[in-house]
Order: sequence, then structure tokens, then C-alpha cells
Amino acid sequence: MANTKLNILPVPTFASLGVNYTERDISEYEIKDVTVSDDDNKEIVQYIISDTITNITVDTNVSSKLIQIFDGSSQTASRLNVTLADNARLDLVQLYLGGDLVSEIVTELKGGRSAFTADIAYDLGAGEGLDLNLVANHYGRKSSSEISVNGVLREDAKKTFKGTIDFKNGAAGSVGSEKEEVILMSEKAVNKTVPVILCDEEDVMGNHGATIGRIDERHIFYMKSRGIPEEKIYELMARSKLMKAIRLIDDKQTKIKIYETLGWGDENE
Amino acid sequence: MKQKTQVADIDRSLYDFRFDEDENDFLDSGITPEIIGEISDEKGDPDWMREFRLKSLEIYNRTKMVEWGASIEGLDIDNIVTYIRPKSRMNTDWDNVPDDIKNTFEKLGIPQAERESLAGVGAQYDSELVYHNVREEVAQSGVVYTDLESAMHDPKYADIIKSHFMKLVPPTDHKFAALHGAVWSGGSFVYVPKNVHLDIPLQSYFRLNAKGAGQFEHTLIILEEGAYLHFIEGCSAPKYYEAGLHAGCVELYVGKGATLRYSTIENWSKNMYNLNTKRALVQENGRIEWVSGSFGSHVSYLYPMSILNGRGASAEFTGITFAGEGQDLDTGAKIVHNAPDTSSYMNTKSISKSGGKSTFRSAVTVNEKAVGSKSSVNCESLMLDNISRSDTVPVIVTKTDKCDIGHEAKIGRISDGAIFYLMSRGLSEEEARAMIVRGFADNVSKELPLEYAVEMNNLIGLEMHGSVG
Amino acid sequence: MSELLKIEELSAGIEEKELLHGITLTVDEGETHVLMGQNGAGKSTLGSTIMGSPEYTVTGGKIYFGGDDITEETADKRAKRGIFLSFQNPIEIPGITLSEFLRNAVEQVTGKRIKLWEHKKTLKKSMEALGMDSSYADRDLNVGFSGGEKKKAEILQLLTLKPRLAILDETDSGLDVDAVKVVSKGIEEYRKTVGGTLIIITHNAKILEELHVDRTHILSNGKVVREGDGQLAFDVLAEGFEKYIGEV
Repeated sequence: MANTKLNILPVPTFASLGVNYTERDISEYEIKDVTVSDDDNKEIVQYIISDTITNITVDTNVSSKLIQIFDGSSQTASRLNVTLADNARLDLVQLYLGGDLVSEIVTELKGGRSAFTADIAYDLGAGEGLDLNLVANHYGRKSSSEISVNGVLREDAKKTFKGTIDFKNGAAGSVGSEKEEVILMSEKAVNKTVPVILCDEEDVMGNHGATIGRIDERHIFYMKSRGIPEEKIYELMARSKLMKAIRLIDDKQTKIKIYETLGWGDENE
Repeated sequence: MKQKTQVADIDRSLYDFRFDEDENDFLDSGITPEIIGEISDEKGDPDWMREFRLKSLEIYNRTKMVEWGASIEGLDIDNIVTYIRPKSRMNTDWDNVPDDIKNTFEKLGIPQAERESLAGVGAQYDSELVYHNVREEVAQSGVVYTDLESAMHDPKYADIIKSHFMKLVPPTDHKFAALHGAVWSGGSFVYVPKNVHLDIPLQSYFRLNAKGAGQFEHTLIILEEGAYLHFIEGCSAPKYYEAGLHAGCVELYVGKGATLRYSTIENWSKNMYNLNTKRALVQENGRIEWVSGSFGSHVSYLYPMSILNGRGASAEFTGITFAGEGQDLDTGAKIVHNAPDTSSYMNTKSISKSGGKSTFRSAVTVNEKAVGSKSSVNCESLMLDNISRSDTVPVIVTKTDKCDIGHEAKIGRISDGAIFYLMSRGLSEEEARAMIVRGFADNVSKELPLEYAVEMNNLIGLEMHGSVG
Repeated sequence: MSELLKIEELSAGIEEKELLHGITLTVDEGETHVLMGQNGAGKSTLGSTIMGSPEYTVTGGKIYFGGDDITEETADKRAKRGIFLSFQNPIEIPGITLSEFLRNAVEQVTGKRIKLWEHKKTLKKSMEALGMDSSYADRDLNVGFSGGEKKKAEILQLLTLKPRLAILDETDSGLDVDAVKVVSKGIEEYRKTVGGTLIIITHNAKILEELHVDRTHILSNGKVVREGDGQLAFDVLAEGFEKYIGEV
């Protein structure tokens, strides 16, 4: 379908900012359904190379980890629907290593004490873009979500991150947090950050924090005083942002593949 | 054991008194070119203004309603009386103000406040400014504080008005800006010459007294290079069965190195639709400081915007919103960094209680030219019970890398630990909660002149305690 | 001497987890008791439960103060009766100054209005006596205070509120030598001027040296496992808990 509206912000805001939705031509989605009902599926690795909808349900008392890697250079749209039962947990790791991507994550924290973590990292260069819309809907009591998004924008890369934590009435005792750090490495890069908290329940705690810009002058000074040149400092910081997410992947082969894509020798390089 | 305290609605009786208006004074409800023409006739508008109003009406008719924010379904614009002619012409002598209007403002303490701590006062009753006065020494320094309509007709200021009026907020901005352009009436014009510092604040007070009426005052403030002004705006209305509409417009021009502090305590009655537009344009090293307390209204849309247009310009926004029963208050701020080395700081608090809904909405835009800019946004929301709602919708857009942007937001309730700590020192639960809420609102109250801070604390106290204790 | 605090078979916990199992102890008016035990033994839970913390639910037993059953009373009522808890982790309350807060608290506890200047004067004097920087009076309650300043502020509140019973929950822990001196001085001042009763929870012999300790209670796993006179406190601190807990 041409001009399909995607990544719709749950609560629209000033239209002139261009963050309420994005449009894409979608021909066909590949659909993947996964139900995790025991601990066998400890870690699921998924490479997203075409338009994909992934539905993942994690059953009661089960923990799972989902790794999604976007290393295509083409236009790709992805939607991930997560449903968590009582005491279920999903740790999501997403790596955006290039391309022009639209990605949506909608997590339904249906169960009591269900937990969702997302560690998302990106490294985008010339002509690349990412429109990311993450929504965590808290229904279950004492459910928790912890979202961390880190990345670097080079050249004229464009990135939008919309992150919504939605505490529904009844989700008493729930906590949600959202952290974003964006390192801008080019004056042409465009960044949009939209950290939304919706709250219909008194007994919850939500917070979000974002820092956007170049690296803190004090950090640069400290590293320079140890003999590291500025360009190298930026590369080190960029790498550390990605490593934060990569470190969470257990599977060695997957890691090696990622290092190859990034042109790194190995994690110790 | 946790105890919930049932807290009643604020006692608004102080603001709810009203006086009868004379039916003959109303123009027909609804808005047509004929009505706009009548307003122009009544006011003796110059030709450009007559055209401006009609053009705005055209824009109004073809502009769609905004698609975000609070619901304004309860508002029937066609039935809001847009213009009510007052019973008196402008006065500079309080004694000449008609008695019922005078009583209204006496009750609100306006002339009293003037005597005590203000450099000048303007009071608007429904559509027209009924009283305006500045201290002599202030007038001698070249400061102009008058009603906008007189200024428009005064050859000394006519050109300034024409070249600034609705240039910052054009009628095309949004539907209610267009409505404002068509039916605006009353409001203030302030001009502060180069390097003049007003040490004491100027104040204007808006009062909507008529039933089902709209207030569309226009405030235009121009600060020349190096000037300083603190302008205070207060709003209130008694409670009527029919909804009222306030669609005012504030345009602030802050010159090179000038500083303008703009404080508002808004306490419209809780059936008002407060759809107000405020905007400041700040030149090199100039500074705008907004202090904003939103307590009243049924529905509010209020996002004062600061455009930092010159190198080194800065903006600070400090706000508090208290949404109680039946209120849907959508407030926040917009900041545009348009020049190098500009900085902005936003610190807001919101409180939701008794089913009230509060939305914090903001937009910080750092444009390509704003190299070396800094921005810090901090918003905190407090939920006082489980039937209320609080949303936070901030947006940050950056188009240059040489910037330093920080954003922090928190939402939650009063911690049991804090209540226990205060109770262990002898405070009752209600007192402990009220004390914590007062502390929460401290960012705004400490920015206000003392008598306003006291009024605000009283409003919070009333909201928190109601009939308890 | 008359009985001030009596705890009878007290059990309490958080949600389904019981942390105190049938504690019984009595403190007479004017006495100084020491409460000891390893981390997690239930000392702070007991202190907070005596104060009426809603965090803990009493599942059995009674607490009497001055002969009245206060088991179900809220914390503010207990404060008005003269119970004071010096918190191990004093809460930060932004926007309310220490001075404003204390004035409110004194008015609540005494039921009398206090003139602002009078309050400021007494506060300044108390702060000077404790060697506290008087500028802290106008700072937000505990916000940005160092660990030592927070504990000094608790002692300042103790001296200002003049309670009949003061429970000091590790008020001396994590402090440098000078700050411990201030706390000791504060306790001494409290004993001298108010003649109040003390329950001290501590791991530190230093703070006890200047005091006459009447009784020592050792807690383990939510039970009183050993009791003795003041000397017991010093023996435990010198030799470690194992020996004393093991004997039960």
C-alpha cells in the first residue's frame, strides 16, 4: 500500500514538528509468530532484511531474549508486537547498522510483574535514516519497562525516536524508565527525540532522560590529557554506544557477524 | 495502613461573585462579516485594521481545528458573545470607573495592589480596558503603558502598532489566532525605551464578567535595547452556566540586551476555554523569562513560545499547572533556537487531582544556525489520586551537532516515605501532603512577587485542603 | 521508675513476609537502651514500627506508650505523644526549608503558635550548639545535605521537638569523627535538658562511651536473642556478635 501511515505517536502533538507519524509504501509484510512457553528459547536472533511483522508472546514465568539486527542498506519497515504474561520477561536488543528504516515496537505488559527491557543502538551515516516508535503499555500490576537508546549520527543521517511509556489504570506499582543518548558527529545530522509518558494510575513511577549533542567537553579534555586525539575519542564513544547493546548478546557467531558488518576486527580491537 | 483523604473542590467564592450586565450591550452571538464590521465601527478602526479583521475572519472560516490536545467539544463559538461594549470609556482616574466594575476590581484587590507595589495597572472588564494608570515618574522615563486601541489611534504609536500587530502570531498560525485577529478587543500596549529599567512591575488584570462571553484582548510589548520590564498578568472570571472563551494574544518584542519577565497567574472559572497564544521574539543577548501558573479554566491550551533570534539570546520558562476536578489543562512551552550561542531553560511542574487531567507539551527546536546552543528541560508531574491523569509529551528537534541538549522528566506520586517522615514529626497526613505539594510548587512561587506567591500558595492550600480540617 | 514503652509479643512485616517475630521489651522513663544486631536482624524495622511506619504491617502483639495502646495509631499521633525517630536515611523534601518544616512540626507537637522571629532565634542557637552552619536552616529539607549534615539535622530536630522517647537509628553510622562528636554532644544535650528516654541502634562503641546505658537488647532474625546490662553492649562490640547470638 502506498503512503501507509506508520509509527503513529499515541498522543499527537504539534503537527509542524513532523513527529506524529511517518509514511511508507508497503507491498507485503513477512509475518513471524513466536510463542515462548519454556526456557528453551533463551535467545532468539532475527535479521530483518525485508518488511517484517514479528509477533512474540512470552508465557507465564518465562524469560526470553530477542536480538533484532537491521544491517540492510535498503528501505525496511519492521513492526514488533510483544505480549507478556504474568511474570514474563523479554529483553530486547536491537541494532541498527545502516539503511533507511522504519521500526515500531509495541509491548503489551499484560501480566502482573511482567518485565520488558530494550537496549537499542544505532550507527547511521550518509543518506541513512531511522524512524523508531516504541510503545510500552503497562496493564499488569508491578510491571516494569526499562528502555535505553544509544547511538551516533554521522553525515546527513536522520533519526527520530519516539518512546512512549503508557501506564494504564490498574497498573499499580509499575515502573518505567527511558534513557536516550545521542551523539551528533556532523552538522548536517538531524535528530528528533520524543519521550512520552502517559499516566492514568497514581501508584507508578516513570521517568525519562535524554542528552543530545557532542561529547561533554570535560570528557574530551580528560581523554586528550591521556594522549587520545579528538577524532579517536568520537570513534571510541561511538563504539561504546554500540557495545552497550552488543555486549548483551550471548551468541558468539552473531557477535562476529556484527563486528564484520561494522568492519571491526573483534570486540577487543 | 494507608488512608486516602477525600478532598473537596476549591472554594472559589472569592472569585465567583458577579454583577448583572445590561442585555442591550450585547452584539448578536456568532461571527459574520457584518458583526466584524460592527466591531470596527464601534471602535473606529483605521482602514488597515478593518481589512485585517475581515481577512482574519476568512482565514478563521477555512482553518481546521487543531487535531491534538484537549477536547473543546463543549465550546460553541457561534454562541459566544464576542464583543461586549463596556459601560464606560477608558479611565485613568479610578473614581470615574462605574461602581459595579469598580467593586469587582476592588474585591480582587487591583487598585490596592497598585498603590502598594506596582508601577502601573491596566484592568480589562469583559472586552474593554476600563482603567489604566501609570505612575508619573514611570511615564516621565518615556515608558508608555496604555490600552492598545488608544495607541492605535495615537499618531505617535500608530505606525509601531501597524508594523508589530500580529506579526509574531499571524492569523494563519491556528484557528484561534485567526478568530483573535477578527474579533480582538482591548488589551495593553507597553513600550519601554532604550536602557530604561523599570524596577517595579506593571500589571494588567483581565476579568470576564458577562455570561457566555469571549475575551480577546491583545497585549503588545516592545522593549528597546537594554530595557528591563516585569509585566504581570492576572485573569479571573465568575462561574456561569454557559462556557466562556478566552482567546487572547500576547506579542513580546525583546530588543538587544533587553530583559522581559512575563508573569501570569491564571485562575479563570472552571468552565472557561482558555485558548491563548503567547509569543516572544528575542534579539541578541536579550532575555525572556516566563513565569506561569495555571489553576483555572475547564480547558486550556497554553504554550508560550520564545524565538531566540539573536546571538546569545536566552529564554527561561517556569511553570506550574494544577488540574482539579473537571479540568483538562494542556500546557507547556515552545522554544526555537534560531541563532548561535542561544540558551533555554524550562522547569515545569504539574499536579493532577480529583479526576483532573494535566498534559505537559513542549517543543524545543535547535535550527541549523544555532551553533553552540544549550537547552535544558525539566518537567515533573505529581499524581494525587487514582482517578486523575497526567501526560507528558515533549519533543526535541536538533539540526546542528554543536549543541548541548538535556531533558529530564519524572512522574509519580507523593512517596509514602516522605509522608511518614513528616507525620513522625507530628504533621497530620493532610498537612504532610499539602506541605509536600507546596514544596513541589516552590519553583514557581519563589519566582513570583511576594503577594502573588502568597495568593498562589492560598490557591494550592484551597485545592489541597478543601473543606477538610 | 515508671514504664514508658512496653512492647508485647510484637510481630510485623512487609506484605507476606514477617520480619519481627514476637518481640517483647520494656523501657522505663529516663532509661537508655541499646538495640544491637547484625544487618537485617530487624533493628530498623522495630524502630520504624514503634514510630508507626505504614511500610510495616503489625501482624500480632501490642505497643504501649505511657500505658496507652498505640499499636493502631498513625505516626503523627505518636509524635504528639512524644515519640521521635531519628531516621537512618532522612527523606529529602524539595521546596520546604528546614526552618519552615521545624516550625510547623513544633507547632503540631506542642499545639502552640510560635512567632517567626522567636523560632528563628531558638533555631539559630540550637544550630550553633551543634556546630551546624546556620545557612542550612534556609535550605530545602535534607536536599543536597551530606550524610553528616542530614544526621546533624535529625539531632537538631530531636533537640527542638524535645520528645519523651527518642529512637536513634544508626544516627552515628557513616559519619566522620567530628560529626560523631556532634551527635554525641546532641544526645548529651538531650539527656541534660529534656531528661528523655533513649533507644539507640548502633554499631559503634564511641557514641555509647559518654552515656550510661541501662540495658542492651540483641536482635537476630527478628527476635530478641539476648538481653543484659550496659556492659553487654561493649562486650558485643569488642568480641563480635557470633559468640552472643550462638549461645541461644
